[in-house]
Amino acid sequence: MSTYVYGISARSHPALPEGMGGVGDPAFPVRVLEEGELAAIVSDAPEGLRPKRRDLLAHQNVLDEVGAGGPVLPMRFGSVAPDDPAVTGVLAERGEHYRERLGALDGKVEYNVKATHDEEAVLHRVMGENPELRALTEANRQAGGGTYEDRLRLGEMVVAAVQTREAEDAAEVQRVLEPAATAVSVGPDSTGWLANVSFLVDRRSAEVFLAAVDEVRESHPHIELRVNGPLPPYSFVEPGPSQPAEPREASTWD
Amino acid sequence: MTVVPAQQSGGGGTSGLYDVLELILDRGIVIDAFIRVSLVGIEILKIDVRVVIASVDTYLRFAEACNRLDLEAGPRKEPGLPDLVGEITESGARGKSKGVLSGAAETVSDAFRQARGEGQSEERPRARKTTSSRKKEEQE
Repeated sequence: MSTYVYGISARSHPALPEGMGGVGDPAFPVRVLEEGELAAIVSDAPEGLRPKRRDLLAHQNVLDEVGAGGPVLPMRFGSVAPDDPAVTGVLAERGEHYRERLGALDGKVEYNVKATHDEEAVLHRVMGENPELRALTEANRQAGGGTYEDRLRLGEMVVAAVQTREAEDAAEVQRVLEPAATAVSVGPDSTGWLANVSFLVDRRSAEVFLAAVDEVRESHPHIELRVNGPLPPYSFVEPGPSQPAEPREASTWD
Repeated sequence: MTVVPAQQSGGGGTSGLYDVLELILDRGIVIDAFIRVSLVGIEILKIDVRVVIASVDTYLRFAEACNRLDLEAGPRKEPGLPDLVGEITESGARGKSKGVLSGAAETVSDAFRQARGEGQSEERPRARKTTSSRKKEEQE
């Protein structure tokens, strides 16, 4: 039976969720494998495991549970070892590195922030800043919408203005939130957000971070922020910013 | 350990899962000696493009949106005044669909690209309604 690995924690963790339901249907119970000062949170691996909603949630929920009681290094979803000894073997082999990371991430959580524009608000904003856009819009309106070329010209200018705003606002979001975090990891940029950034935040000062989020929301009402956290520190398990797993394709809007 | 109230889901619910999907699939420790599950066939595929893409379609949609915007604001209200922006954001726009931006195009995160060859054609959403349900989540 192969072994599904959720994450790595310290053996001294006070409340590893042994017996909790993990991946699989029916769910395999979570087990703990100990090696030196480390503990791997594992379960049996289902046959033919796929990245289905149920199993993704199970992975996330187990890590949430571990993270609530102490530091955890989350595995990427879908990591399957041939058997239990293979897991403890890796813990033994790379123990020093994992202990260092657990120490560095102790008391810290990840907050992922995704930003988009509120369409109407950002249109008002760019129109307000640009008299030419207002004039063109008004002219098109007077002309019953304008010719195809008129509309194209207006649209192109508006799109350019909004895109400029997107870049500026992405930088602005990061600039305001960064001081409230101990580390920053820019997320994969191909998922359609104008900003997708993870922040490593000390649990005890999470309120400071969330206050900074509110500050952005209040001072930039055309920016919508989706904040997810506290999360296991997925983006901070390696020293320095996480590297993408594979070379990226060019973004579709580049 | 203190539990800090989160403003959004911590990932336990489906909506939270959607938002942290690329972290679960694209971040976290990778150990070479372990097998990684193939991402081909992943269920949760669609991630809306919510940034603006330059294309003729987009230009026309934006021109139309500007047209509507002026009509809604009324001839006497100067669009872009701070109080107007604030008012709209507070009371109206947050609950409205974001048709233009979200209708721009579709993409998926790199983690899902591999799966596109199989499932993209029938899943490509042209008229998108998903943003309205997201809006509800945001307002919680």
